[in-house]
Amino acid sequence: MQKDLNRTLLRTGIALCAGLLQFFHVTAQQVPLRGKITNEKNEPLPGATATARLSNKAVIADEQGNFVLPGVDLQDSIVFSMVGYEPQTWPVPADGYISVILQATGSGLNEVVVIGYGTRRKANLTGAVSQINNKEIRTTTHSSLAQSLQGKVPGLQIRQNTGEPGDFSTTINVRGFGNPLYVIDGVPQNDNGQSFQRLDANDIESVSIIKDASAAIYGLRAANGVVIVTTKKGGKGKPSFNYNGVYGIQRPTDMPAMANRAQWAILRNEAEINANGVPYFTPEQLQAHIDGPSTDWYGLTMKDASSQAQHNISVRGGSDVASYFVSFGYVQEDGLLRSGDLNYKKYTFRSNVDVQLHKNWKAEVSLAGRYDVKNMPSAGFYNIFNGTRTALPYAEPYANGNPDYLALQQYINPLSSSRSDISGYSEDKGKEFNAYATLTFNVPYIKGLVLKGRAAYINNVNLNKSLIKSYRLYTYDPALPDPYVAHVQNNPSKISNRNFNSDAVTLQGHLLYNTRIRDHQLGATLVFEQNTFFSRSATLGREYDFYTNDQIDQAGLNNQTTAGIEEQRASQSLIGRFTYDFRNKYMLEYAFRYDGSYRYHPDRRWGFFPVISAGWRLSEEKFMQDIYFISNLKLRASYGQVGEDAGAPFQYVQGFTTSGGGGYEFNNGVWLTGAASPAIVNERLTWFTSNIINLGMELGFFNHRLNIEFDVYQRDREGLLARRLVSLPNTFGGTLPEENLNSDRVKGIEFLVGYNDRIGDFTYSISANFNYARTMNKYVERGPFVNNTDKWRSGSGYRWSDVIWGYVLEGQFQSYEEIANAPIQGGDLGNSQILPGDFKYKDINGDGVIDGNDMQPIFYNGTPKMHYGLTLNAAYKGFDLNMLFQGSARYTIRFREVYAEVFAFGLNTPAYFFDRWHRADPYDPNSEWIPGKWPATRFVTNAGTNYLESEVWRRDASYVRLKSVQLGYTIPRDIVRKAGLQNARIYFNAHNLVTFADEFVKPFDPEKIEGAYSAGFSYPLTKSFNVGINVNF
Amino acid sequence: MATATSCNKLDLKPLDKLDGNAMFSDPQGVKLYMANLYYQLPIEDFNFMRGGFNDWIGENMVSAHFTDEAVHSNYLDFLTTGNFHWWEQGYKLIRDVNIFSDAIPQLRVSEDEKNKMRGESAFIKAYTYYALAKRYGGVSIIDSVQKYEGDVEVLKVPRSTEKETWDFVMTQCDIAIQHLPETWPGGERRATKWVAAALKTRAALHAASIAKFGDRAVLSGEAVSRKLVGIEKMYANDYYRQVIDAANLLMENGPFALYKPNPASPEEAAENYRKMFEDPSVAPEEAIFIKGFTKVDLGHNYDIYYNPAQTANGWPHPGRINPTLEFIDLFESYAQPGQSSPIRTSAAANDITDYSGFNPAKNYYRFDHPSDIFEGKDARLWGTVILPGTQWKNTEIVIQAGFIKPDGTPQIMEGNPYTHTDGKTYHVFGSSDRTQYSGFDSYGGNYTRTGFSFKKFLDQRIPVVYGYSKGLTDYIDFRYAEVLLNFAEAVVESGITDNNAVAKATAALNAIRKRAGHTQDIPLTVENVQRERRVELAFENKRFWDLMRRREYHTLFQNTIMHALLPVVDLRVTPAQYIFIRTEVPRGWRYTFDPRQYYRYIPGIGSNGLVQNPQY
Repeated sequence: MQKDLNRTLLRTGIALCAGLLQFFHVTAQQVPLRGKITNEKNEPLPGATATARLSNKAVIADEQGNFVLPGVDLQDSIVFSMVGYEPQTWPVPADGYISVILQATGSGLNEVVVIGYGTRRKANLTGAVSQINNKEIRTTTHSSLAQSLQGKVPGLQIRQNTGEPGDFSTTINVRGFGNPLYVIDGVPQNDNGQSFQRLDANDIESVSIIKDASAAIYGLRAANGVVIVTTKKGGKGKPSFNYNGVYGIQRPTDMPAMANRAQWAILRNEAEINANGVPYFTPEQLQAHIDGPSTDWYGLTMKDASSQAQHNISVRGGSDVASYFVSFGYVQEDGLLRSGDLNYKKYTFRSNVDVQLHKNWKAEVSLAGRYDVKNMPSAGFYNIFNGTRTALPYAEPYANGNPDYLALQQYINPLSSSRSDISGYSEDKGKEFNAYATLTFNVPYIKGLVLKGRAAYINNVNLNKSLIKSYRLYTYDPALPDPYVAHVQNNPSKISNRNFNSDAVTLQGHLLYNTRIRDHQLGATLVFEQNTFFSRSATLGREYDFYTNDQIDQAGLNNQTTAGIEEQRASQSLIGRFTYDFRNKYMLEYAFRYDGSYRYHPDRRWGFFPVISAGWRLSEEKFMQDIYFISNLKLRASYGQVGEDAGAPFQYVQGFTTSGGGGYEFNNGVWLTGAASPAIVNERLTWFTSNIINLGMELGFFNHRLNIEFDVYQRDREGLLARRLVSLPNTFGGTLPEENLNSDRVKGIEFLVGYNDRIGDFTYSISANFNYARTMNKYVERGPFVNNTDKWRSGSGYRWSDVIWGYVLEGQFQSYEEIANAPIQGGDLGNSQILPGDFKYKDINGDGVIDGNDMQPIFYNGTPKMHYGLTLNAAYKGFDLNMLFQGSARYTIRFREVYAEVFAFGLNTPAYFFDRWHRADPYDPNSEWIPGKWPATRFVTNAGTNYLESEVWRRDASYVRLKSVQLGYTIPRDIVRKAGLQNARIYFNAHNLVTFADEFVKPFDPEKIEGAYSAGFSYPLTKSFNVGINVNF
Repeated sequence: MATATSCNKLDLKPLDKLDGNAMFSDPQGVKLYMANLYYQLPIEDFNFMRGGFNDWIGENMVSAHFTDEAVHSNYLDFLTTGNFHWWEQGYKLIRDVNIFSDAIPQLRVSEDEKNKMRGESAFIKAYTYYALAKRYGGVSIIDSVQKYEGDVEVLKVPRSTEKETWDFVMTQCDIAIQHLPETWPGGERRATKWVAAALKTRAALHAASIAKFGDRAVLSGEAVSRKLVGIEKMYANDYYRQVIDAANLLMENGPFALYKPNPASPEEAAENYRKMFEDPSVAPEEAIFIKGFTKVDLGHNYDIYYNPAQTANGWPHPGRINPTLEFIDLFESYAQPGQSSPIRTSAAANDITDYSGFNPAKNYYRFDHPSDIFEGKDARLWGTVILPGTQWKNTEIVIQAGFIKPDGTPQIMEGNPYTHTDGKTYHVFGSSDRTQYSGFDSYGGNYTRTGFSFKKFLDQRIPVVYGYSKGLTDYIDFRYAEVLLNFAEAVVESGITDNNAVAKATAALNAIRKRAGHTQDIPLTVENVQRERRVELAFENKRFWDLMRRREYHTLFQNTIMHALLPVVDLRVTPAQYIFIRTEVPRGWRYTFDPRQYYRYIPGIGSNGLVQNPQY
């Protein structure tokens, strides 16, 4: 045994050396090559190109589809391409003749789709899996990979929550199920897509999304679908370098304006009059404000546009023995702050090397790394931006106009908060290193049997440093000897370092077997997988007695804080899949995963997740052959079970903890943190179980020019966590643990319609996708209802989970008389606070009082239920154009605080509130009311019922936007050649170019979430304009 | 083999949970668990507010605000049925201590250690059920951990009678007294034999009073007929006897004494008294049980809330406890021992009952300095209350309600400054600057409404630290003076005379007075004991429960408003002098106590199936 192994290793070594020699020493044996290029219908393809990869010789096929390449190396390979068709690569045949059938791009039936632990021809897929390839991904420029996928894949629901550089919090949700599992090059990831979103799109070969129960092959973590990324690999031929560089500018998609000084003063004056009848300003004071200069806080703090740049250089090539793909990437965004202190940089590298060690042995080694840094002023963007919104427009940024003295503001001076040198900074560094190694063995003498072993190691490091500096803001009082009075902010200065380090190891053993017995194709996959994860984090902080520099050791010894915790996770799984195809007509697949998790009680930690799916390609049936316009018709169905980790781990372990308990001072001056008593444990706690059913149909018409895919799906989850609501006597002294009690259901449809065609040199395609899904609560554990009203109002079981209750708006009161005759809507205050122009609500139950009983379930919540995208592609000669329209619908946005209250916190208020009801002469209480869009201006406490939940504030945020446009020009080859290049393309693209949405919502950007406190103060989403170049040499 | 490895890999252990058995088998581990139990103990310390215990932020209404000791400068709230509950938290503590006591028999530790554990868990149970009994009467007694196995019914434990509940408290106290050590190593602030005995005097006195005075307020209903509330009168002396016995144990065998029992002067007595509360560790002879505060942010808020406005040091909500004129009037003057000596503002016969405001015809006593009117009053007044014009933190505390113009027009609590013919400008509250006075301004609820500011427990040595829960003054939960007063009350109320009880009780009473600078002894009477108790234990959360247990609340608060003393500058004379006006608390309300409030309502009867307290 040992001897055999040695011999194998020796042979492998020799083969490796020989291969490398061969690779570096290519013999130049040349033949002339002739051939014919046709399409699937055996029609010739004039204008198709045959290119020799090594020599770069190229020729175009004639009217009959024939071509001749005078002399090519036998080592070379030939790429056959034609606009509108999938390119194919063939080795040079010894006999010098080749016949090629190109498949139209639209059909993609022969496309190889990556599925869990394997691949499958698209035509033979039985599950709902979508795949998107490099070229389709790279149609826009954005630092987050998610932005390059949005709108392109049916059922992949993506929402960008903020535009902040280095913030990768984009929501990715498959079909409305939730956060999917990410698998990169066959290895499940542990970080909720953080690494995924940071991948360099240039390195990606394809991304496929498993949307139905086929995900069962990933077992316990797959209830929400799986996103599988495959990175690029080497090819054959001499090194081919590619450089891609983009530079662009980014600016907010839109920005709500705040009141200027005149608007502020007029509104402020009216707020006082409308509440108390007393003006805030004398007419002279008011006029002085109207004429006075106004401070543009936003303009002082933020730039109009920021820059972004991306560079990627890669090389790929190889021989029969070894192939490689090596790439380096760099991404930089400098952020919208004038101070330049909010920015992001990312460096990535990847090296994928495959070596054919021996006829039957193949090794693949993949190394990848990332280093990224995000810098930010310590105040955080929210507070800085808050300052630009709320600082009063008459206030000056500097005390006495002296730029050495930043002025104290009523709330925040955004100029000091946005500067790291004044108020401190926070720096987030991320480092990731991945090493994957795979060894494949084609078992000799048993055709179709392959053994594979894979080991993967992922190391993640996060280093955060935060410095909060104390600084001074000033007021100016000329009466004092030193007229600049200092006001200390953020005292004392504080510093902290936080580090997090994790190691994840995945081991896999695969056994693959494929065989064909006449028309029966059989396949089997068996995998054993083990995942372990370990992390350690620690935080240390100190306060300064006096700030010297930004080192922990230089800070004071008082009030030191430390914290740290480790975490361990482990899982083991046995995975199997069996496939059966009959003549590519009937497909049947059964797969399972037997998954064990560390989280649960040893007796109940193993779960079995099976899926069965089938496909029927009707278009392959005899009776369909005559229907000439149908080129593809497939029905498929899948049904299976997946799981999802539920609750905190170790809930089965009874134990005392030092968190959550109180402390006591037994010895004077010594605080002892006590141990809390154990919670009541639930040994039966287990995963949620999801049953997913999917029915799909795929249709191709007119020789695959028109393609349609349609899916309906339903997911039923059981065992969602809840506390049992038996009414325990309150003398029991404890609360019951979480149990697997509740259930819900997601239902949805999705479809994809694509059309592609060619008119002479002009090729084009158009593709639309659509997804609509809603979630319904089923069983919801709760106590008994008090009465039917309570049930109607508070019940949540067997109802859509996305409904929000509100008042029905009837319009605005037009007169005092109308107010006097209206139902009472102001509670104890009656209608005394209501003024003409205030919002009027419908008295649903007709009891003359507007109260909670009049609320109706009239709004969708804040999560979009409907997603759609439309992609247009066109190419003419060297030009190519890609446009993507994308949107979401059936959701609402409601802001709170500054954007949705007049004079919230007594600070500045948005300019749109200026369009309001007001008296013609504010100083004359008898002058007529002039109508406006908003009610008469008042402070929140005097505003009566204007802020009740209604369509005034909770707005439909549905939108459609031109997500991206890209126009490229491939420079003619003969010009490029002279520069010593193989290929060069220049392009221009734009992101988030135009948005269509509700006019109130649009300035905030409907896609962005409301953010902290629903204030809408997160970083604006940006539109960008970029120019790039892509060069091959 | 594969199975073996696979199990190992998945058999991870949580990194944040400790094994119970291992923990209880080591005294250090027990201490760790005890820290959480003591933390939950219903100690009526500085974080005991109307909302409950361990209230670190926000709330600042203490029990004194609901008695005749003080009013709040800002809130007008009187006791409501939702205040001072402690039920769910109580039963959580019971569960937590039962987890400990249930584990004792199985532990592999010496019998000695086990006895200490038995003693300590009995002490915690006694304290917990005492706090429940005085709120709710008879309660469900649960003495071991209940297990939920799907049937809710078996978990329901009916209420014991009030007597059974108090007897359970007594028994637990006895177990604690029997097993607990006299001291802990290193002087740890944990329950000792003596602490348990002191608890027993307090608890037994409460039970005895319920029995003796229960008929002062007649309640009715199922809870009464089933004796879930109330104790028959015949048992009163049994409980008084238990007070006497437990107190005797302390007085005869314990190491305790009064702190600085023989002051040289009333001034020294006042300062001794104040210092004991500023830092209890100066008085180990008197402090039987101290609850410590040492962790910033888990401290308390007495300093921020109750300092006078002038020493708030930037904190926006000071001055919240305003001692009432009723409380000030209670104190003896050294000239007239044995009786309260109300503040007289004039020689008028009806002076101390005249609250009609300034009367130009009245011959007010005039004083050069506002504190002169309090001369000769019991030292403890000076140690408990900041009087107008006295020094606090090197600042003269200005409490002034207004002035009388030379023409006799009063300008009180409102109006513009007045510039006198002597060129001096008089402001209503004493200054134009809000940080320079402490009285009567309604702004922010920061200024005393009674003419008095609070002093006891505040730390004079350090400025107020801005922010919640920064106060680190320790609190004395049981002190020797209380034990003496519990003893004295038990003797005088029960008529028990054996074992030289009366003489000992009289001596105890007068020892406390002597420590306060009194030189003449007074006899042991019910009135003298109660006055001494109110004066000595003021603001220690005793008055509230005394009114409850002695059933005096409903007679004290019958459409009752508290009173204030307004110091006013009299400009009718030159140089200006101070006069004082007795009046109702400005912006004050009248309160009536509903007798059903002698018991809190039982929460959650829908699920626990318990009989509700009377009249809820």
